[in-house]
Amino acid sequence: MKGYRKYFGKKILWFIITFIAAVILNFVLPRLMPADPVSAITGKMASGMTDATAVQEIYKRFEEEFGTNKPLITQFFIFVRNLFRGDLGTSFSQYPRKVSDIISSAIGWTVALQLPAILVGWLLGNILGALAAYIRKGFDKVLLPIALFLSNVPAFGMAVTLLVIFAVKLKVAPIAGGYAFDMIPNMSWRFIKSVISHYQLPFWSIVLVSIGGQAIGMRSMSIYELNADYVKYARFLGIKDRKIVGYVFRNAMLPQVTGLALSIGTMIGGALVAEIIFSYPGLGSTMYSAVTAADYPLISATTLIITIMVLIVTFLLDIIYGFIDPRVKAAQFDA
Amino acid sequence: MKNTLRQVFHSSKFLTGFLIFAAILLTMWIYPLFNPGNPLEMIGVGTFAQPGTYFSLYDAATTRTETLRLPDADEKRITNLVSDADRAAMIEWFGLMEIDVSEVDATDIDALLDLWLEHYDPSVKIKGMTQARRNFFKRLDKNLRQIRAADTLLVMHQEEEELVEKARITKTDYVNVSDVANVKRLPLGTDNFGRDVLKELVSATGTSIVIGLIAGTVATLIGLTLGLLAGYVGGLADDIIMFITNIFTVIPGFVLLILISYSIGQDQRGASVVAIVIGLTSWTWTARSVRSQVISLRNRDHVNLSKLSGHSLFRIILTDILPYIASYVVMAFILQVSSGILAEAQLSLLGLGPKTTVTPTLGLMMNWAMLYSAHTNGSWWAYFPVILTITLISFSLNLMNTGLDQVFNPTLRD
Amino acid sequence: MGKVILEVRDLKTKYVTRFHESVYAVDGVSFKIEEGKSLGVAGESGCGKSTLALSMMGYYFPPLHYISGDIIIDGKNISGMDPDTVRKSILGTEISYIPQAAMNALNPTQKIIRFLEDVIHAHDAKADNKEIRERAEARFAELGLPRDVLDKHAVELSGGMKQRTVIAVSTILSPKVLIADEPSSALDVTSQKMVIKMMRELMEKGYIKSMLFITHELPLLYNVTDDIMVMYAGQIVERGTAKEMVFDPIHPYSHGLMGSILVPEAGTRGSTLTAIPGTPPNLKKPPQGCRFAERCRYATEECRYHAIADKPFGDGRSYRCLMSVDKLREVYENE
Repeated sequence: MKGYRKYFGKKILWFIITFIAAVILNFVLPRLMPADPVSAITGKMASGMTDATAVQEIYKRFEEEFGTNKPLITQFFIFVRNLFRGDLGTSFSQYPRKVSDIISSAIGWTVALQLPAILVGWLLGNILGALAAYIRKGFDKVLLPIALFLSNVPAFGMAVTLLVIFAVKLKVAPIAGGYAFDMIPNMSWRFIKSVISHYQLPFWSIVLVSIGGQAIGMRSMSIYELNADYVKYARFLGIKDRKIVGYVFRNAMLPQVTGLALSIGTMIGGALVAEIIFSYPGLGSTMYSAVTAADYPLISATTLIITIMVLIVTFLLDIIYGFIDPRVKAAQFDA
Repeated sequence: MKNTLRQVFHSSKFLTGFLIFAAILLTMWIYPLFNPGNPLEMIGVGTFAQPGTYFSLYDAATTRTETLRLPDADEKRITNLVSDADRAAMIEWFGLMEIDVSEVDATDIDALLDLWLEHYDPSVKIKGMTQARRNFFKRLDKNLRQIRAADTLLVMHQEEEELVEKARITKTDYVNVSDVANVKRLPLGTDNFGRDVLKELVSATGTSIVIGLIAGTVATLIGLTLGLLAGYVGGLADDIIMFITNIFTVIPGFVLLILISYSIGQDQRGASVVAIVIGLTSWTWTARSVRSQVISLRNRDHVNLSKLSGHSLFRIILTDILPYIASYVVMAFILQVSSGILAEAQLSLLGLGPKTTVTPTLGLMMNWAMLYSAHTNGSWWAYFPVILTITLISFSLNLMNTGLDQVFNPTLRD
Repeated sequence: MGKVILEVRDLKTKYVTRFHESVYAVDGVSFKIEEGKSLGVAGESGCGKSTLALSMMGYYFPPLHYISGDIIIDGKNISGMDPDTVRKSILGTEISYIPQAAMNALNPTQKIIRFLEDVIHAHDAKADNKEIRERAEARFAELGLPRDVLDKHAVELSGGMKQRTVIAVSTILSPKVLIADEPSSALDVTSQKMVIKMMRELMEKGYIKSMLFITHELPLLYNVTDDIMVMYAGQIVERGTAKEMVFDPIHPYSHGLMGSILVPEAGTRGSTLTAIPGTPPNLKKPPQGCRFAERCRYATEECRYHAIADKPFGDGRSYRCLMSVDKLREVYENE
C-alpha cells in the first residue's frame, strides 16, 4: 500500500503544479504579445464609427471589463479570483452572454463525443494491433500499411471524407450540427434519435483516425512481449497458447494506457478541428466562432478549459494505470 | 557512415517513404517550370470550375475546321443536351397522357425523343396540373425540338449597324484543339476564388513543407539544447529543465499554439512566424529523448577519456556525444516536420493560419474550401487533393522514420 | 541397475533461421537416466546444451524443429505424440523445465498463485482453486519458501526468490523428469547455494524422480549430479560418473574443459590452467569428421574425414574419439 500512496501522492502533486502552470500560461501568453487586445477589440467594435469620443468610450469600457488599466499582478489575482468563482468574463460576439454559460453548454457535447471516440479508437486499435502481431504473415502485411496510412490522415481530412461519402453522397447521415436544426433540446425520443444520428460521423472520424496509431504501437509492443521469456516458460508448463496470448496482450496493453495519456493532448487538437467540420456544437466549434468573431474572452476561456480537461484525463489515466499495472508499485518500492 | 546509409536504404519502409517524399519534392520543383506565374492569380470569375481542359470558344469559332462524319455524334449530342431531369419529365408526361412507353427503352434517348415529338401537344390540358408545370413542359418541348432541328449555327460579327457573318458552324465541323489559340488545362479545376487549384496546390505544398522544416528545426534546436544541457550537465540544470519539460508535455501544445497565434494577430502572422510558433510549442519530445540518450552516454569510456584529456564541454558534446545521438535527433526531426505541417493545417482551419495574401499553404487551401462549402457542393477537387497531399507527406515521413527506427533499434526488427 | 526413467535415443533437432538456413544444434544425442539419479550436461556456450533442454520437452515451436529420434519417459515415447497431448499430459506432469533466465520467466503482471492456477488447470480443468491454494501453500512450506510469495507479483520478488519460486512452480505437479537449464548461473553465491539445496531436496522428498542439470560450470556439476555428460557441437563427446569425469576425463575436449577450470578438490592442485584455443564449428554445415578436430591438439588427417561413433568403455562410460582410451591416458600423463 505504501508504494501506491507514494505514487498517487506524486501524481496529485504533479497535477496541481501543471494546473497552476496552465493557468499562469493562459494569463501571461496573450499579454506578452505586442498587440493590445483591447485596442484590437475596440477597433473591431468601433469600425465605421466616426465619433472619436464614442470610440474612446468603448475603449474605456473594455479596459474596465478586462482590468487592463490595472498593474499586471493585480490583473492576475483578479483573473484567478474570478476563475475560482467560475466567472470567465463576458462574451463579445454573443454579448451579454457570460463566457461560462457558453462554455458549459458546449463542454458536454465535446466530452460526450471525444471521450468515447478516443477510447473506442484506442480499444479497436489495440485489438487490431494485437491481432496483427499474433497472426503476422498476410494479415500483418496488409494491415500494417493500411494502419500506417490511416494514422497519417489528418482528423479533419477523415471528417471531410466521411462527411462527403455518407452525408452528401449517400445521404445516410446529417451534414452538420449536434441535432436537427429545427429542434429544441429536450428529452423526447425524437430529439435523442436526432442526436444519435448526428453523433455517428464525428464519432467514427475520430475513431478511425486514432485506430491506426494505436494499432501500430500495440503491434510492436505485442511482438516484443511474444518473444519474452515468460511466454516460453508458460508453454513448457503446458499452458494453452490462447491463455498465454492473454498474458501477452495484457502486458502489452498496459503501457498503452500511458501512451494514451501522453498522446491525448495531440489527439484532442485534431478532434476539435473535426468538430468544426461537422459544426458540432462542442468546444471546437465554439473556439472557431470565437476566433472568427475575435471574441477574446471566449478564446482564452476555451483554451483554458481544454487544457484543464486534458490535465484531468491524463491524471485519471495515470491513476488507473497505477492500479492495474503491478510494475508501477514495484518501481515505487525500488525508488 | 557509408555502411549505415546503405543499411538505411535497404529498409523497404524507409525507401518507400523516401521515394514518395522525393516524388513530392520533385513535382514541387518541376511543375512551376511548365506552369509559371503567381499561384494566387484569380483566372476564373466564377467559383469552383470543374477539372478539365478549357478552350476558348471565341477562338474555336474562327479556327479552321475539318469535316468528320461520326456515326454516334447525334446520339452523343442529344444525350449531353437532355438532362436526367428532362428525361424523367418526359416519362412523367407520357404517364399522365397514358401513352404506353413499355416498348421504348428509357435509356434510348433517340426513341424517347421520337415518341415525344409524335405525341406532345401543348394544347392538351391535363387535370390538376399547375400553370407553372404546363409552362415547364412547353419550354421542355421547345428545347427538345431544337435538338432535332438540322440547322447550322451562324456566328455574327457586329460592324456599325450591320451584322456580318463571321462563321457558319455545321454539326459535322470539327476543330483540332491544338489549332485553337487559347487552351487552358485545369487538371484540378479552380477554387472558390477562381484560382488554378493544381498550381496553388504545388505552391502550397512547398510552403507547407518549408513551414514543417522551420518548425522542425526550431523544435529540434530547442529540444536538443535543453536535452544536452539536462543530460550532460545534470544536477540543478537537469531538475529545472525536466520540470519545465514535464509541464509542457502535459499541457497540450495545440492549445498554446492557438493562444500564441491569436495573440500575435493576423497582420504579424506570416508563414515563417507561424512555423516558429509551432516549433516553440513542440520541442518536449526531443528534449526528453535526447536527455535520456545523453545520460546513458555520459559515463561511457570514450567520454570520460575526452574529459580527462581536458577537452572543452563544447568539444565533448560535439565529437563524443552528438554523433551517438544523431540518429535519434534525425528521427525526432522528421516527426517534428510532419507534425508541424499538420499543426499548420489545423491552425488554418481554426482561422488562425498564416496571413492569406502572399502564399497559399495546405491549411489555408483547406480552410478556403471549407469556408466556401466545397465539401457540400461536390467540388471535391478543392479539398480532396489537399487532404491527400497532407496524408502522403505525413505518411512518407513516418515511413522513413519507421525504417530508420528499425535500422537503429534492432530489437524492433522482425 | 535401477529403473530407467528417461531415455533419449538419437535425438536430432534444428533451428531454422529467418533466412531459412538450418542450424543442426542437437545432432544424434542418446542417453539414459535411472530413477533417483541426476545427470549433468556441460559444455561451452553455443554447444547445443540449452537446445538439448528445449528439444527434450517434445514440444516444438519455431524456430526450433524436430527432425528424428525418441524421447521415452517411464516407458512412454513422447516424440511421436501430437502437440496437444504432449501439452496436456506430458509437460509439467511427466517432464518439467526450469529456464535459464528465471528473472524473466514469470509473467510480471500476474500473481504467482494465479499462474499456478493456470498451470494446474491446463492439466486438470476441474481443479478447485481452493485446493490448488492449499496444495501450493503446502509445497511452498515444504520447500522453505514463504507463503506470502503466492500473493505477490513476480516484479515484487528478489532475484533469488524468483528463481526458487520458478523451481517450485515447475515442480508443482511432481514431474518424473526435471530439466534445469543453468538454474543458478545468474545468481549470487548465497542464492546459488539455496537453489542447489532446493534441487537436492526435490529429489530426496520424491517430488521429482530424475534430473538433467545443464550448466557451463563443471565444479557445480561435480557437487550436484551423479553423472556428467560433456557436449560439443551438438553431440555428446563423453559420459561418466561425476568423479570419473573430473579426475579422469578421456576425450581431448573434456580434458581441455577440465583443464580450463579450477576444481577446489584435493588432487587437482598443481594441474595447470589451460584454455582451449579456437571456436566451435558452424552448425549450419557440421564437419563430416570429428567435430572437435579443428581445435584438437592430437588430431590427425584421419580425424577430419572419419565420422566417429560413440564408444563404450569402463563401467558404463562412453566417449567419441578415434584414439584408444589407453593411448589418450598415456598422452595426458606425459604432458
